[in-house]
Amino acid sequence: MSFILGTSLLAVVTALACALPGAFVVLRRNAMLVEGIAHAVLPGIVVGYALTHDLNSPWLIVGAALAGLLVVLGNEWLIRTGLVTGDAPQGLLFPALFAAGVIFITLDFSHVHLHTHVVLVGDLNLAAFHQLSVNGVSIGPRYLYVMLAVLAVNVAFITIFYPKLKVTTFDHQFATVLGMRTRLLNTSFMFLVSVTVVTAFHAAGVILVISLLVVPAAIAHLISRRLSVMLVLTALFAVVGALAGFWIAYALNAATSASMAVFFGLLFIAVAVIDALATRVRRYRRAGHAGIKGLLVRPPHEEAERLDGSSPAPSPQAAE
Amino acid sequence: MSTAPIACRARNLSVAYRAEPVLRGVNFSVPLGSVMGIVGPNGAGKSTLIKAMLGLVTPLTGTVDFSGRPLDQVRRRIGYMPQSTSVDWDFPTTVIDLVTMGTYGELGWIRRPGKAERARAMAALEQTGIPNLAARQIGELSGGQRQRAFLARALAQAPDLYFMDEPFQGIDAKSQQAMVDVLQDLRARGKTIVMVLHHLATVRDYCDHVTLLNVSVVASGPADEAFTKENIRTAYEARDGAEAFLATAV
Repeated sequence: MSFILGTSLLAVVTALACALPGAFVVLRRNAMLVEGIAHAVLPGIVVGYALTHDLNSPWLIVGAALAGLLVVLGNEWLIRTGLVTGDAPQGLLFPALFAAGVIFITLDFSHVHLHTHVVLVGDLNLAAFHQLSVNGVSIGPRYLYVMLAVLAVNVAFITIFYPKLKVTTFDHQFATVLGMRTRLLNTSFMFLVSVTVVTAFHAAGVILVISLLVVPAAIAHLISRRLSVMLVLTALFAVVGALAGFWIAYALNAATSASMAVFFGLLFIAVAVIDALATRVRRYRRAGHAGIKGLLVRPPHEEAERLDGSSPAPSPQAAE
Repeated sequence: MSTAPIACRARNLSVAYRAEPVLRGVNFSVPLGSVMGIVGPNGAGKSTLIKAMLGLVTPLTGTVDFSGRPLDQVRRRIGYMPQSTSVDWDFPTTVIDLVTMGTYGELGWIRRPGKAERARAMAALEQTGIPNLAARQIGELSGGQRQRAFLARALAQAPDLYFMDEPFQGIDAKSQQAMVDVLQDLRARGKTIVMVLHHLATVRDYCDHVTLLNVSVVASGPADEAFTKENIRTAYEARDGAEAFLATAV
């Protein structure tokens, strides 16, 4: 497998592995919690490296993911104590853990030799450096297979627990009344997110991994009316963004993860604008004879709801 | 205290957020087959009481039992209709999917909802009069339609005991009538309903039993005995327009 093919595949698989759990992260409004996880795993990675001397070791990945879980559980605990409110608990936890990781790196006690820019934004090409070969034939970067394994675990988890994930994400309290083990499910899911973040660290660093997790799902959320559709679109946007980001970076000789993140941002803006325009056009058509004003005013049923907050919306057919 | 069998009972239930008591030593019981309205001023702990009974809030003290059994043994028989503002209505799901969630309690860890569950959800939508909205995205519903969809989800749970948190909040007359019809049907079938109500004026229309709450229980029992001017005045401490209400009603 050529280096370029292997590395672009790696970009796609990394983006997919992050984006699918990212759909639930977006719907649960946990983006900043995941940002916290991404920072908090750093000391786990450094200590793990000191013990294993292999950034792709499963032990390192699980160990560092547990450090990420500290933020999730510590956050829940701090919220329960009521000592700090809002999302301040996250702000208390992850900088301390991240700073510990930075100190470990500075002290060079693990000889991990991580450069600042690798910690922050990752380096896909460096990550793809170690190639796997079978009988002397290259079968792509070793890291690609680690990322594929994480993708497979994520897909399996989401597939098996889809109904549970859906109802706990939409209405946590209702799911609890139904007797679902919502905390177990939530902690398992967050552990998986943490594993994904640790594994993607190589490719995207602690800052840009949040872009891979959140933005494809956020774009899909703009235009999806069903969760299953949102998941498919999330995957689609992840693949498109990964390939576009990779080739833009290749052409400009820039950082791959940064190009992907910027492309995702532009894609979000483009989809948001197109969706807003399409909504306006639909309203315009629905308003029929309302002429150009139809573009500027709310459709009648929305206006009625706005006024009394209650009147039932007529069906689109009725309005036509 | 009535001698009818008891559907659920709270004993000495106390809840606090940090140092602030929200519920203090709440004792009350809901007779089987009754419609119990929980009424009180803002901040009286009405929603918290329901949540504590359903295990959504951990009480400092006290116990709750359902016909003598703990919550975990009777979950299948309990339906819950939370406040409609408690969820994100931009969530990508349709009305039928939302209502089908009411059947998820029986699925176990792996199984997913099939035709039977969908049929139950559809029947619940028929009951609440909005089967035509089944395919809509939930964000397109009006306030009243949202409440009816939430009620349908509770119906799809097929419970014997319903907990409803402000079911009439922000709804139009048509939705209100549809919901009242469902409630009367439930009552006729011997179901027990516990509901938080915000408007004093509607309590007599819907409830045969009332619990007046203001952090602790002011009065609880059959509406005629508990829902008196004196008790309402005590519960509301002349707040929230209770005086105006008392001038015209009861």
